[in-house]
Amino acid sequence: MTSTTAATRAKRQYLAIAILSPLAIFLAWTLVTAQGGVAPIILPSPGAVAASFLDMVQNGYSGVDLWMHVGVSLQRVGVAFVTGTTLGVTIGLLRGRIPNVDALFLVPFELVRPIPPLGLIPLFILWFGIGELSKILLIFLSVFLIMMVNAQAGSRSCAVDALRAAQSMGAKRWQIFRFVVLPSALPQIMTGLRIAMGTALTILVAAELLGGDRGLGFVILDASSFFRTTYVFAGIILIGLIGLLSDRVIAWFSRRIVHWEGKR
Amino acid sequence: MSSYKALSVVADQPFETPEPNSSKAPSVMNPVLKFEKVGFQYDGRPIMRDVSFAMQPGEIVAVLGPSGCGKTTILNMVAGFLDPTDGVALIDGREIRGPGPDRGVVFQAAALFDWMTVADNISFSLRCAGRPRAERRQVAEEMAALVGLTGFEDAYPYQLSGGMRQRVGLARVLAAKPKVMLMDEPFSALDVQTREVLQEEVLRIRERTGCTTLFVTHSIDEAVFLGDRIFLLTDLKDGAFDTFSVDLPAPRGNPENRLHPAFIRLREAIYRRMRH
Repeated sequence: MTSTTAATRAKRQYLAIAILSPLAIFLAWTLVTAQGGVAPIILPSPGAVAASFLDMVQNGYSGVDLWMHVGVSLQRVGVAFVTGTTLGVTIGLLRGRIPNVDALFLVPFELVRPIPPLGLIPLFILWFGIGELSKILLIFLSVFLIMMVNAQAGSRSCAVDALRAAQSMGAKRWQIFRFVVLPSALPQIMTGLRIAMGTALTILVAAELLGGDRGLGFVILDASSFFRTTYVFAGIILIGLIGLLSDRVIAWFSRRIVHWEGKR
Repeated sequence: MSSYKALSVVADQPFETPEPNSSKAPSVMNPVLKFEKVGFQYDGRPIMRDVSFAMQPGEIVAVLGPSGCGKTTILNMVAGFLDPTDGVALIDGREIRGPGPDRGVVFQAAALFDWMTVADNISFSLRCAGRPRAERRQVAEEMAALVGLTGFEDAYPYQLSGGMRQRVGLARVLAAKPKVMLMDEPFSALDVQTREVLQEEVLRIRERTGCTTLFVTHSIDEAVFLGDRIFLLTDLKDGAFDTFSVDLPAPRGNPENRLHPAFIRLREAIYRRMRH
């Protein structure tokens, strides 16, 4: 009984701190800007940012509805995230368990991995133009590389006895992959998803540098080139909130999917 | 009470110290498992040479010896995790080639699949063989009942105690109906009470299923209580090991057997043999 109340108290405390810490930042922001010591073009007040946000909600930005900007960005991230995860996990698991597959991909992918995506933008423009394909491919590449590394490391964490047990119960190669290697790697894959989502949103802004007139990245870049700092802030906070929300959603699912993690 | 009486009668028999027999198996036809001059080298270093033995259907052989004597190597060769570098290992007269469902392994640390329920763990071999869901569930429930896990079919392994996890490990092997069950020090990490209950359980299951069992252990008590024969290994580099026959009253799973004079005599004989 005592342990239950202690656990409840710890949970409440956690929640309180998680809510109070952003409020404190918000308060500090309000105080600093209210004293007028900072030029609004450097750091606008929360009120001014909120006004710009409302303006975008009502009138859109640069002739396009705000939710259209959000939707286009989410679609780019979504397509890249799903395809990048699928391919990255598949190749990562194979690299982790089959030495020859690892040998095949080792140099090409480890060579590409340290290249900053921004450095690839000029090449991608030359190869794939400035349309959707370039933007999605840029995000896809980052997601793919992150998921591949995580899935590979995860598949290596599979216990030898678990593999042997499966073989002794007549599991064929693909069954071992499906029922033993993949579940063993899942905890690390789920962590990879959270990292990849954060990175995907980062790359989104860079990808939307590639031209076009839609997307949250476009809003931020366009506003900043016209010194409309309040709109830059509104766009940044919106991306941040999408990141926070998606991270919580992935973490929630991950606790349910890898329910066995840390229980033994 | 009746078992206690039986025990006191036997205690009146003249005291005999069992001598180790020759390492040849009793000559019965069609052994389930047969090693013919099996040798194993690791990195060019010989671990064992010319090891021969045979196991009869329904027999429990306890392989006893200190760490590093090669007992797990024997088990791994039967399981197909290791290939002999010399000689042949035969199951039902056919050479062993890699792991297979005719040889089930109960591991020291259970090695259950934490992501599957107890029922899915138990019926895993049927899933691999493409059996339908209803049949898998039925077999899982039967096997859970056999090892005393009824009511835990939908639990996950991490919700079970160490002893219950080993029961799952036992059930999933039995579900595959193997020709030989291989047990690799499966109870060594459990507390004494749980270990003894599970030893009795193994004997009770043998009565019910007739499953041939190779049991690797470093505990003399465990070997004497469980085994029909005991292979005492010290150094397998010349292929020699001592074989002891266990002669304890049926039902073998009776815990009173642990106090039987024959049990105590054999334990002492093995102990003296180990210490020379």
